[in-house]
Amino acid sequence: MDILKVEGLQKSYISPETKEKFKAVDGVSFFLDEIQIYGILGPNGAGKTTTLEMIEGLTDIDGGCAKVDGVDVSLDPYAVKQIIGVQLQSNEYFDSLSLEELLKLFGKLYGNNINAAALLEKVDLVEKIRAKPEELSGGQKQRFSIACALVNEPKVLFLDEPTTGLDPQAKHNLWDLIKQLNHSGMTIMLTTHNMEEAETLCHNVAIMNKGKIIAEGKPQELIEKYDSSNDEKGNLENVFLYLTGREIFD
Amino acid sequence: MFTSLQIHLAGIFLKIFLRNRQAILFSLFFPLIFIGAFSFSGTSNDPFIIGVTDESQSPFSKEFIKNLEQEEIFNLIEGDFESLQSSLIQGDIKGLILIPNNFKDIDNLGALKFYVDASQTRQVSVVQRAIETSLLSVERKIRNIEPLFELQLEDVKARPQRYIDFLLPGLLAFMIMNLSIAGSGFNIVEYRRRGILKRLFVTPIKPKDFITSIVLARMLIVLVQLSVVLSIALFLLDITIIGSYLSFYLTVILGTFIFLCIGFALGSLAKTQEGIRPIVGLVTFPQVILSGVFFPISSMPEVVQPIVYSLPLSSVVSSLREIANDGVSFMAFSTSTIGVLIWVLISFVIATRFFVWKEVAK
Repeated sequence: MDILKVEGLQKSYISPETKEKFKAVDGVSFFLDEIQIYGILGPNGAGKTTTLEMIEGLTDIDGGCAKVDGVDVSLDPYAVKQIIGVQLQSNEYFDSLSLEELLKLFGKLYGNNINAAALLEKVDLVEKIRAKPEELSGGQKQRFSIACALVNEPKVLFLDEPTTGLDPQAKHNLWDLIKQLNHSGMTIMLTTHNMEEAETLCHNVAIMNKGKIIAEGKPQELIEKYDSSNDEKGNLENVFLYLTGREIFD
Repeated sequence: MFTSLQIHLAGIFLKIFLRNRQAILFSLFFPLIFIGAFSFSGTSNDPFIIGVTDESQSPFSKEFIKNLEQEEIFNLIEGDFESLQSSLIQGDIKGLILIPNNFKDIDNLGALKFYVDASQTRQVSVVQRAIETSLLSVERKIRNIEPLFELQLEDVKARPQRYIDFLLPGLLAFMIMNLSIAGSGFNIVEYRRRGILKRLFVTPIKPKDFITSIVLARMLIVLVQLSVVLSIALFLLDITIIGSYLSFYLTVILGTFIFLCIGFALGSLAKTQEGIRPIVGLVTFPQVILSGVFFPISSMPEVVQPIVYSLPLSSVVSSLREIANDGVSFMAFSTSTIGVLIWVLISFVIATRFFVWKEVAK
């Protein structure tokens, strides 16, 4: 059975500026049939986050369908939420609760009594068990955010721009964690604009622009196919710029 | 009745609240200041001092002064005109009565003079009336006539009621409104703005569980805060709740529920804390002025009374006041109790209708 099956996903919004309807996500499809790390790349506003939020059951699906482990999100969002883990771009939590209390709370929301220390051990934060999230550094916050997403031992983990704003050390540290989780049998789907991240981590990537997937495949295949620069090795960044153009997106 | 998740979540909200010491202090500070301030205005006033200079030393003047001395609202001191006049100017006395030399001859009585500080209008009018009454009774005595009318003032309810007794139920209702709307509305807006709601709703939590746990936690918080203020009022100000505490607290719980629901609805209208403040102000401020917290609604123009009576705070205020001051039972289902029950329904419908869950997560 496909771990993740997304077919013709659509979402329209009314633009606050022009008051006109525009398609944020326009017929996105992909299939993940084996455990892997899958990356969605794209400039700002390409529809990456909206695509993820529809699969996660946070945003209503206008058209098409998304199934996680065979369960249709539109039909049974709560069943899907039980088997996925989500890390959002913003990671703020209730005030004045410690990491331990927050993890236990998240566990409860899935009906689990979890061992907070063991979970923090996994993301190398066990010494911060009594700290509050606001006392953590950027990298620690992201690792904690992943720990929160792991309380239900999800089959699929969604990470929305996990390394944005991190320094190189914290970034590499987080990559190691993501690889480790994947090796333990978890499918991970992430969005990023960091091409190095996509090349290092992802088994497959999709490049999105203006609500559509415009290229999909293994990073190396895409480089061979689209990078026409004279660089000896070639890289995904050239592919990205070739496919999405050089104009600036806001 | 409640699931273990709801109780756990309610516990979390309580914990968050209890760790915010500042919020606890502030929520108690305001009602206590109010009660403190109004408790003083409710007690009997010290009598003020009126000077009298008797230049005639006649039997009339003696009789007149004797009559005046029986007045409880002011104290009389006698003295010479110059020194009393300077006392009046300095504000030590509130008025000065001068009985002239020719206050002797019954056929040719000289006029009394009353010197006042015109800024003290309230005292002046009281003294003026007392002087007139006193003169009248002296006159009756001299002319040897019995008074035709007699007025006896009696409280129908035959029990002492001070302003603070009237005020306390109003203040408590006002406190319920503020604490509840802040507890649901302001929190929801803040949780949404910071993305906390969104984070919660990627887990399988049901909106019903979330709302129930907030209501549960807030209800407990409001009940404790209210009980603290109420016990201070009971012990320090010697106030009695005439009706049953069961009726009183039942109304408190329903009132809290009404304003928590209104808070949820208002919280879904605004996107930011700055946005919700004026909206909440628009809803609460007119109610504080109009709903009989500080003075009875019946003293308002008759045209507006039906509108004012139908405000949610009015129902809660009158309901609490009936129970506390008149000993009415909740089970008597008076008009105001029914008003409370109707508002429980309306607010619940508004809260659930306005509170669109998908949008909440945005």
